[in-house]
Formats: sequence, structure tokens, C-alpha cells
Amino acid sequence: MISFESLEVHYPGAAEPALKGMSLSLEEGIVGLLGPNGAGKSTLLKTLLGLLEPSAGGGRVLGVGLGSPEAAKLRGRIGYMPEYDALVEDATAYEQVAFWGELSGLDPESARDRAHEVLYFVGLDEARYRAVSGYSTGMRQRVKLAQALVHSPELIFLDEPTNGLDPDGRRRMLELVLKVHAELGTGVILASHLLGDVERVADQLVILDKGRISASGSMAGLRRALSRRVELRFLDPLDEAQEAKVPELGQLHEARNGYYDLELKDADPLAPFRWAESHGAVLVQVTPRHDRLDEVLLRALHPENA
Amino acid sequence: MPIYAPSLPPKPDLSSGRPPAMVIARFDLQRVLRQKMGRFFGFIFTMMLLWRLGYVYIYYLKDQNAVIGKMMAAASPVLAQGAEWHADMLGGWLTYLLWFLVALIGGGLVARDTLYRVRPLMYAHPVKPSDYWIAKVCLAALVPFAILAPFALLPWLLSVGLTGLHGVMWASAPLRLLPVALIIALLMGAVASGASSLASTPRAGVGWVLGVVLGLEAVGGMLYGLLGSGSWMAVSPMALAAEWPKLLCGSTTGVFGWAPALIGTAAHLSLWTLILKARTRPSEAVL
Repeated sequence: MISFESLEVHYPGAAEPALKGMSLSLEEGIVGLLGPNGAGKSTLLKTLLGLLEPSAGGGRVLGVGLGSPEAAKLRGRIGYMPEYDALVEDATAYEQVAFWGELSGLDPESARDRAHEVLYFVGLDEARYRAVSGYSTGMRQRVKLAQALVHSPELIFLDEPTNGLDPDGRRRMLELVLKVHAELGTGVILASHLLGDVERVADQLVILDKGRISASGSMAGLRRALSRRVELRFLDPLDEAQEAKVPELGQLHEARNGYYDLELKDADPLAPFRWAESHGAVLVQVTPRHDRLDEVLLRALHPENA
Repeated sequence: MPIYAPSLPPKPDLSSGRPPAMVIARFDLQRVLRQKMGRFFGFIFTMMLLWRLGYVYIYYLKDQNAVIGKMMAAASPVLAQGAEWHADMLGGWLTYLLWFLVALIGGGLVARDTLYRVRPLMYAHPVKPSDYWIAKVCLAALVPFAILAPFALLPWLLSVGLTGLHGVMWASAPLRLLPVALIIALLMGAVASGASSLASTPRAGVGWVLGVVLGLEAVGGMLYGLLGSGSWMAVSPMALAAEWPKLLCGSTTGVFGWAPALIGTAAHLSLWTLILKARTRPSEAVL
């Protein structure tokens, strides 16, 4: 779907490049682009859209080279939902979605028809003839999603789609993202600084920090790794000789007050018990650590604190 | 039951659309037509047009009616037709009011997109920067041209209809007045959209257009007064718009000649288009 090699983007006048030698290949599906504000997520999306020229390196999006003359046509195959409000306040949702459809290359009649359909798809069928100035934040986000979908793109870029939404609005928006991929078969790149959003919908994850890729991989792979993450507690504190052999079980992340935070080598849940028996220790508690994706993110962003 | 199917139909043909510049201009025109001031100015310009048409009609009637003929004969020093009379078809209050209307409409054309941050999203579609600025200049020019063209054509059509090609209006009137209307409209469109790109809100855009037009008129007047040459008035777009009807109709009462008019008009068209291009390029919009 997307691949790039040693991609570098330098804004004019900036001391440092916004993207520093990024290399990556992304498969079809929902890709979560995660990172703190200023990590380079929006810059990467704009570069992939062909709005910013790479200062070094290159890549391909849907088979079209970045910076090539076909980049303008490529934008007709991509939908983009920007982070900021990009709505014409005095126009109705229907008028503007039809307008964006026409700008993507649809003839006026098709653009009008599809504006109705896509606004129904995002749940704005009743409100589509009202000026967007009277819309709530959630409705505005859905208009932005509708304009990104109106021309049936092969790929959509969603930049912080849950910005400013309440928990219910966030849930609805994320359900829509899943629906877009499941029902329309559209590839999705979702940029967010909210781990919960990405975790909920993405099947691939790319973590960005300060213009670099800190980590990337499939969510299933990350979850598999996390499912081996356990906390062990022994009846009596381990002696020095026993502690020295704990790494036989896997990578030790933390040892504190008789608790051992480990990433097990072996997926077999009985392995820690066998190890304890063979080393004369009594294992009394094994706690799986399922909800620690945030630690993966933090480790990727701050490896020095890992 | 929903009126429209809940699932989207197969992928549409994306190659059958209209040129992006036309799509942008049409969308902006719909926005302009929704504004109430359009109706107000529509009324004003319609009244002015009816006045001009009535004028031509009465000119014809003077040949048919003795009473009106005597009245017209008495007023002939005032109403004498000639180059000046024809130039006035597109001059005077008409262009002053048009500048005001163009400031109100054109001032917000680009500034509104800046305020709502629509431009980066536009460039995320298959839209080139040239599509954008061409759409803005053309729309800002289309409105004054649509108002000026009836003033250039309808009195002539009425005159031809009533008295044939040797009536009140010159037979060649449209050949003179239509190019004048086009030049004035392009000048107004370029200045309005260029000045609008300097503003971040529509209201500030209106201020920028009026400031540029009135400010340059004042500068031109000062230079004229100080240096004693009417050619300096060509720095003012307002003076240029007032001068072109006189030049093309052959009036001798103009403030400056062909060379300053051509240079001034070309300079304004280039300058304001360049400003518009520079202020709306994608990197500017994205950053």
C-alpha cells in the first residue's frame, strides 16, 4: 500500500528536518500512526499526499512515486480528513461534500448522489441540509470523514479523527473507521496521539517520535508479545543465585519487592512453575499484564528509561 | 426507511468531472449569491440600467414626439452624444459602486478560505495551485463583468431595435464597450482577490481591498499634484477603471494616455496575481 525509504522532509527555514530518514513498508488494513504532538505524523501524511516534497529519499503510495508528476492524480485515489476544521461555515454539509466530490473528479450529478449516500453512511442524513456552522464537534468530524469518502478512495488518511470528541463521540467515530474498512474495503492510515484510539481500530502500528520511526509492527504481534508479559511473585524472596537465573525465563523488565516483571520466552503458561520447581522456589502468583500497550509506546519514545 | 441506499455503489468514474477551477468558482459563486448584499446591489444596478435604457428610449422618442423633441433640444448641450456620452455608459458612479461591490464580494473570496482553513484540504484533492488562483480571479472578475456587460449591450440593442444601426448608439459601441468591461472586470478581479489573500478574515479582506483601492487613488492624486503629470494617476486601479472607457471610446477628456493606462493595468494585473499565487501556494497553506 505504502512504502518509503530514507524519507526526509525539511521545512524551509527550519533548523532540523521534520522527518529524518524514515524507512517503512505498510500493508493494506488499518494502520495506526502514533506519537506525541510534533512527532511528524501530520508532516508524514502531507508528504504521502504529495503536498510536501521530500528533501531526500523517496517512496511509493498506491504504486505512484512521491514527487512524481502523477502525484496530483494520485490525490483523487486518496481521501484526507484533516486534523483542523476545514469546513465552509455558511454551506450545508450536502453542498460541501458534493463540492469535494466534484473536486476529486466526479461529475456534478454523481457528486450530488454520492454526497447524499456518504452523509447517510456517516449518520448525517437528517442534518445534511443544515449549514455546518450549527453542527456539534462530532457532526463536524463526520462531515470531514464524509468528504474524505465521497469519491470512494482506495486509501484514506485520518488525522486525529477523534479530536475534541466526548467519549461517546469517540466511540462512534472509531466504529465508523472500522466500518469504512470493513464495508468499503478502504485502507486507513489513522494518525493519533491517543493510544486507546489506535489500539481499538488498528491492525498495524507505527510509533513516531521527533521525526523518526521509534517502533513499528502488527498489533497482533505486539499483543502476542504483551500476552507473554507477566508479573511473578514467589512465596519467599529469591536468593542471589536464583535471581541470577531469572533471565532464563525471558527478558526481565523490572524486579521490585519480590515481584518480577518478565516477558516470557515460552508461550507455555506452565513454564514459570517448572522453572520455580527446578530452582527450589515457590511461585505463588502469575499475573498477565494485558493492558500495557502504553508501556510499549513509552519504551519506544523513551528507550533510555526502558 | 432511508431515501438513499445505506451502502455506497461501486467505485465511480473520476475522470468525467469538470475542471477544478470551474468547480471552485461555481461553489464560490453560490456562496456569493446567498449573501444579502448581492440583492441590494442587484437592485441598485438594475435601477441604473433602467435609467440608461430610458435615456436611449427618450432619445428615440424625441424624433417622434414634438413635445419631447423640444425638451430634448433644450437639453441637447447636456445630453449631446459623442465619445464622452458613450464612455459614460461604463463610467462615473457605475464603476465607483462596482469597486465597492467587488471589495465586499472579492475581499472575502480568499480570506474566507484562509479563515476556515479550506485551502490545504483543497490541495489534498487533485487541484493545482493555478486552478485555485485562476478560479478566484475569474470569479472576482465575473461579477463586475456580468454587471457591466448589460450596460454595454442593452442600450445598444434598444437603440438598434428602435432606429437601426444609425440610431442613438454608435454601431460600433459593443466593440468598444465590451473590451472596456472585460479590462475593468479583470482589473477589479485581480486587485480584489490579490488583496483578499493578504487578509486572514473576510472582513479584513474587505478592508484590504478598499484600503488598496482608495489608498492608491490618494497616492496617485498626490503624485499628480506634486509632479504635475496626470500619468501618475495610473498607479490607481480606480483611475485606470475610469480611464479605459474614455480611451477606447476616443474621449479627449482623459487624465492620462494609452501608455500609462497599458503599463498601469499590466502592472496591477501582474502584481496582484503574483501576490495571490505566492500567498496561496501549497507549502504556505500546509505550513
